[in-house]
Amino acid sequence: MTGDRFERLLRDAAQDYHRPPETPREEMWRRIVAARARRQQHVLVQHRWLHWGLGIAAVLVLGIGIGRWTARGPQGTETTVGRVPNEPGTLAYRVAAAQYLSRTEALLTGFRTEARPSTPDAQFAAQARDLLTTTRLMLDSPAARDGRLKALLEDLELVLAQIAQLPAGGDKEDVQLITQGLDERSVLLRLRTAIPAGPGPVRMQGAL
Amino acid sequence: MDERELIARVRAGDGAAERALYDAHVDRVYRLAYRLAGDDELARELTQDTFVRAFERLGSFRGESKLSTWLHAVATSVVLNGLRKAKRFRQRETDLDEATGISGGPPPAEPDLKRRLAQAIDRLPKGYRIVFVMHDVEGYTHEEIGAALGIETGTSKAQLSRARGKLREALADFAGEWVS
Repeated sequence: MTGDRFERLLRDAAQDYHRPPETPREEMWRRIVAARARRQQHVLVQHRWLHWGLGIAAVLVLGIGIGRWTARGPQGTETTVGRVPNEPGTLAYRVAAAQYLSRTEALLTGFRTEARPSTPDAQFAAQARDLLTTTRLMLDSPAARDGRLKALLEDLELVLAQIAQLPAGGDKEDVQLITQGLDERSVLLRLRTAIPAGPGPVRMQGAL
Repeated sequence: MDERELIARVRAGDGAAERALYDAHVDRVYRLAYRLAGDDELARELTQDTFVRAFERLGSFRGESKLSTWLHAVATSVVLNGLRKAKRFRQRETDLDEATGISGGPPPAEPDLKRRLAQAIDRLPKGYRIVFVMHDVEGYTHEEIGAALGIETGTSKAQLSRARGKLREALADFAGEWVS
């Protein structure tokens, strides 16, 4: 056999190298369709959250803006939010603020619950970053003129900043410090008290 | 339906066009994945990932090359990344030293050549193995290999030549028997 013949023999023999079976077309197609549907759903959920978050942020900015304007009063006289419950601007502000407080309460409750058995998920840090921006807007709004609410917002700012800075995977000691701070300063209790009671978005009690 | 129309319809979300694109290319993608992975389940996963990614990214296909060239570039990227992650093919036990110890006696039977050739291919450096499998086993041209792997055609040719040289070397005793 010549060198060329050996080359040919090699090539022929190589056809058996990891010889594939018949292509499982239908099964793979089903799995591709399923995988794409899962990805699509994931994207939709992300979009829904994004839209929701943007909506809340827009309402907050609008509400806080209107609230600041109306709080000054028509002749530049300052009033507190709670004293002008029937003005439309104040109403928008209170709706936005109530949504913010509810979201923060949900986040902190979830964080505290998850922190007990393990380190909390990284999604808490992302949500905390988002809420931190709103907290600073709130501190700059008429709500901060209420001493009780201002103290609460300052505590929330600190806690949210701590959660936002938690490293991925979480540090058990840091998590403990945050939950200790929450307990010692009764942040959740004060937060729940500040959230207006009632079924609808427009509530007449609480700190707002 | 020509390629341009097919792409336009897939981009518009036409399910039948997606299936047509899949049917036109799935055999070649699966075969390459299987040849390189040597594992049916892994080959299926890699083929699926290739098409999921291709459908997602078809919007960025600018038509500067043929769709098949672009799709095989996606496929080789997915397959090579998948193999790196799985590392299954690296764990394959081969022992060329044992194989080269065979000498004398009658010319070895062909099945033994195939077994030893498979071991020798497994032992090739990664780049050589991929080019050898694509060209000599699956029949890709050097232009296709170059486009898929992002290398020059000349590099593909050089790697193939070195791969063959290494295989000849590994199977030298067979060559001696058969050539004489």
